[in-house]
Amino acid sequence: MKIILCLDRVSHTYHSKLGETLALKDISFCLNDGEFLSIVGPSGCGKTTILSLISGLIKASKGQIVIDGEPVTTTNRDTGYMFQRDHLFEWRTIRQNITLGLEIQKKMTPQNLKMVDELIEKYGLKEFANNYPRSLSGGMRQRVALIRTLATSPKLLLLDEPFSALDFQTRLYVCDDVYNIIKNEKKSAILVTHDISEAISLSDRIIMLTNRPAAIAHEYVLDMQECKTPLERRECKKFGYWFDKIWKDLEKLENNQ
Amino acid sequence: MKKQERALYSEEHKKYLKNIKIKKVLILSAQFGILIGILVLWETLTHFMILDPLFFSSPSRLIKTAIDMFATKEIYDHISVTVYECVLGFGISTIVGALIAIGLWWSDYLRRVIDPYLVILNSLPKIALGPVIIVLMGLGIKAIVTMAILICIIITITSVLNGMMSCDPDKILLMKSMGASKFQILYKLLWPYSIPNLISVLKINIGLSWIGTIMGEYLTSRAGLGYLIVYGGQVFKMDLVMTSVFLLCVMAAGMYLLVSLIEKRVYKSR
Ligand SMILES: Nc1ncnc2c1ncn2[C@@H]1O[C@H](COP(=O)(O)OP(=O)(O)O)[C@@H](O)[C@H]1O
Ligand SMILES: [Mg+2]
Repeated sequence: MKIILCLDRVSHTYHSKLGETLALKDISFCLNDGEFLSIVGPSGCGKTTILSLISGLIKASKGQIVIDGEPVTTTNRDTGYMFQRDHLFEWRTIRQNITLGLEIQKKMTPQNLKMVDELIEKYGLKEFANNYPRSLSGGMRQRVALIRTLATSPKLLLLDEPFSALDFQTRLYVCDDVYNIIKNEKKSAILVTHDISEAISLSDRIIMLTNRPAAIAHEYVLDMQECKTPLERRECKKFGYWFDKIWKDLEKLENNQ
Repeated sequence: MKKQERALYSEEHKKYLKNIKIKKVLILSAQFGILIGILVLWETLTHFMILDPLFFSSPSRLIKTAIDMFATKEIYDHISVTVYECVLGFGISTIVGALIAIGLWWSDYLRRVIDPYLVILNSLPKIALGPVIIVLMGLGIKAIVTMAILICIIITITSVLNGMMSCDPDKILLMKSMGASKFQILYKLLWPYSIPNLISVLKINIGLSWIGTIMGEYLTSRAGLGYLIVYGGQVFKMDLVMTSVFLLCVMAAGMYLLVSLIEKRVYKSR
């Protein structure tokens, strides 16, 4: 199996007037091509920091991050970042929102635009393509946000609690939707979440972080090949087992605070 | 299409729409009523000498003065001078102010250096700078336009800058994560994001640039509506003063309408 990302003893300290915050301490893990990894942990432990480091938005204080053999130094085109809220630009049509990344990277070539139109068609956005975001539901908007991330063809998707702004019903359905699109497009993904059942229903592997400074507390390789999609997994026999185990571990961490 | 939709409305909805229409008519008629009431009261009180028309002028004298003024054509010069000064002050302060705001957004360092100056200049009554302006710019249009700019520009800078800073930082992070340069963030995100704010700045600036222009004309002028008002006051021609004030109202309303039209255009095209 090809390895697409490795973090090697990565530490990060934030500096502010109030003092310095050691957010991450010696984080090391790798990600296989096509793998879906979730990172869970107490809130404020440093999950978003990990994604910011991988995307190159901030620079690690110590350690090295390598994507596909290349060390990360600045924002790179190998990663696509998806936020908690969709951040669609209200003044752009759905299609213009989706091509934002290509515009920025000056890659508005006929092939790329054709690929965008194929994505739009494949994932049922064609009838809205020339509408403005305000006409879409929350779930649809998040789907557009995902397609926008895919449009620049990143190798690795970074998802920072992308479902937490949605209501429960929509969340289950969007979760399934996003999973299917990511698998369909054969992308690797790292999901940050504090929702254990979400992590179990989506991932091949879960990493649990300790309280700040975050280090890796546990790693779970989920053996749930027989249940594929998130909705199926929630019905799966092993789901309860994993949920109990991870929930108890997290409980222990939070009590240790 | 629209007509068909209307035919489908329920009785209740039709009633609701009708109510809205009635309310609108009521508001408009009240607005006109107040205006006419004031004019009638003013005319009657001055006609029966309860108020001295020498001090208070009167609607009929106002109309007569206006007709005389327009007949001599001289008034066109006064109007065009004032409009010219006002549009110049408005245009320069809006454009330069917005550019300065962009500069301050661009450089964190500059913003923090300039900040206390902006605060002080903002609370300073600009008229206090009148003598300085006259010494620097001389008597005449230059000084008047400078006064208008001084009054508009600080508020332009701070409102445009605050508008830009109010953009969700995650939206900026999103652009950065796609590899956007600072310039791309500016013209693909902050510029379109700021348009509604810019329009409200325009609206504020119209009022302020009229204030600035008239203040400038009070300070130093040989023509313009502000000049007519000052002159009318000095030679005790209240008809002239009132007519000029009335013309100012009309002009300011006209400019406001123009911006409203632009606003409608902008929102339609989105
Ligand atoms: N820009 C920053 N400056 C200073 N401290 C920060 C900054 N961003 C995050 N932190 C701190 O680092 C810690 C980890 O933050 P984050 O990665 O956002 O946590 P999580 O996503 O797990 O909730 C938090 O305690 C937070 O207060
Ligand atoms: Mg976070």
